[in-house]
Amino acid sequence: MQRRTLAAVFSALMLIGLASLPAVSAEDKPTVIRISFPGAGTGGRPLSGGSFPSNAHLFKEIDDEFKADGIKIEWKFFPGAGPALNESYANGLTDVAFGHGDLPLIVGRATGLKHKIVLSSSRFGNSYFVVPAGSTAKTVADLKGKRLATFKGTAGQLTLYRWLDKFGFSDKDFRIISLDNDSTKAALATNDIDGTNITPFDLQARGIAKSILEVRDDPKITRPGTVWVGEEFEAKYPQIVQRIVTRLVKVAYWSTQEANREKEFQAWATSGSQAYIDYKKDWDSVPDLRTRINPLLDEYYVASLKSSIEETKKFKLIRKDVSIDGWIEPKYLNQALKELKLEDYWPQYDADGKVKTAARSKLAAN
Amino acid sequence: MSASIDDPSVFAARAAVHREPRLAALLNMARVALGAIAQRTVFAAAGLILPALVILLWWTAAAHRSVPEQLLPAPMLVWQTLHELWASGDLRSHLAFSASRVAWSLLIGGSAGLLLGFGMGLSRTLRAYLYPSFNVVAQFPVLGWVPLLIIFAGIDEALKISAISIAVVVPVTINTLKGIANIPRPLLEVSRVYRFSPLQVLWRVVLPAAATSLFTGLRQAVMQAWLSLVFVELLASSEGIGYLIVWGRQLSQPDLVVAGMVVIGAVGVLLDLALRWLASRLQGWRRGAF
Repeated sequence: MQRRTLAAVFSALMLIGLASLPAVSAEDKPTVIRISFPGAGTGGRPLSGGSFPSNAHLFKEIDDEFKADGIKIEWKFFPGAGPALNESYANGLTDVAFGHGDLPLIVGRATGLKHKIVLSSSRFGNSYFVVPAGSTAKTVADLKGKRLATFKGTAGQLTLYRWLDKFGFSDKDFRIISLDNDSTKAALATNDIDGTNITPFDLQARGIAKSILEVRDDPKITRPGTVWVGEEFEAKYPQIVQRIVTRLVKVAYWSTQEANREKEFQAWATSGSQAYIDYKKDWDSVPDLRTRINPLLDEYYVASLKSSIEETKKFKLIRKDVSIDGWIEPKYLNQALKELKLEDYWPQYDADGKVKTAARSKLAAN
Repeated sequence: MSASIDDPSVFAARAAVHREPRLAALLNMARVALGAIAQRTVFAAAGLILPALVILLWWTAAAHRSVPEQLLPAPMLVWQTLHELWASGDLRSHLAFSASRVAWSLLIGGSAGLLLGFGMGLSRTLRAYLYPSFNVVAQFPVLGWVPLLIIFAGIDEALKISAISIAVVVPVTINTLKGIANIPRPLLEVSRVYRFSPLQVLWRVVLPAAATSLFTGLRQAVMQAWLSLVFVELLASSEGIGYLIVWGRQLSQPDLVVAGMVVIGAVGVLLDLALRWLASRLQGWRRGAF
């Protein structure tokens, strides 16, 4: 009797175990991962450029990573940029974001979107104040009361506000209209706007516009971009998230190799939102690619996010407060760095954007 | 002429019949009046059922989070946003911008429409030359004009006002033309008998007879202007009600979007009511003119 009961319990347990086995493996593996970029190429082309996550798409790194598992990667590109990415995520149509500017990221969190920041997609970068070719303006002050363009709701808006702030103006001193990248270029050509922030080299070469001021890699003017994973997806598929992050760090490493500089600029230019010459000249001031291609969530990243939140509040772009508690999840990044032996590969910056721990010499890398 | 209800002889006869049971008649009248009021109330209530249902659906959907709050704001939040917008003066300044755009377009498009309409209505020659072309051009929606207008007018005020003006010209012209074409011939013949000067014909015959149609044109024009305004303000603006909606979307504040829509609807209804009232006032003037 007792033996029988035991056998019954045992076989019942076996059955449960068997039944739950396929369920567990289904939990481990989604059939599709939906990865979104906060932008699209010119005319809505499904391409992105300018960052190492773009390389992950352009060189099919993520697709390759999951090919053997039969997991499909669905890439999404939004001409509506960061705000459109928020809408997509709110609609349950995005699992992972391969870059998100500070403003839409914070706005999304303020409206209750739940995601985990897993690594940074980019940092620093030059910023240019550009006017139509025929403009007589020499300084930002010359443009007071005139029409400036920015893509409102994107990180570009805060960058422009910081520019204006730097020269002692506020957004109220100008008429600021919202235009996307393509329209901004067209509007410069037709003199419909008097100034904007855009990479100018291609426009300059074509005689459309000229840069009157340039700020190089100022940690206070631009802010890092962010790669995040939806909270639900992260909770459900932690191994998948780890594989995405590890692969991204690998791509980041590849992207910092001097030998790949030309290759990636050419790949980025296929999106058409910036020309090859724009990347080439914009990155000329970066002898070590690790300055801008840096996935770390270091003190600088955290401090930047905090000051962006303060600015967003100051400009009344959010109504609810945003806390960074439990938002940043560095464990995947740390694991990836350890696994790839890249812990000291990238330079770490302090809250002011100054190098705190220098990067290891490139020669020592691998 | 046949006898009608306001013929005094008929009235006298009916009064005589009803003289005896006066009270009953009064009661009957009261009943009829009450019935009419009740019927009206029922009618008004019937019209409210659908909006009430929609609001109820919206309310429950928002309360149960069946649609994410980033996409569908709660009705109370929209109300609160409207309140804040009004209190901060933002709403008034945006409305002022939009209203001035509509006013300029009505002035420009309306004058052009009246000129075209009167010209083609009064002169057969002009009509022969212009009407076919006008008819073709009138088929393009404002939306279709915008890309072309951007090339010529840029993206600033000129674009907005020219696009809205185009939306205004068409209904004004068509209704003016229709109003003049539909003037009863006998009226014009009588004016000829009286040897009216052309100015007198215009003032005492054409204008009063065409007034209803002119007003229909104006009402349509105002509505068209208001609707196209919102569309053009979605493009490259930094102020106005349409801009408020785009801004709300960019900042993931759908309550701002819905608040903007509510304001657009409310202003539209108010404009229409005001114009209808004005039209009914003018009907009086029209009767006096005959």
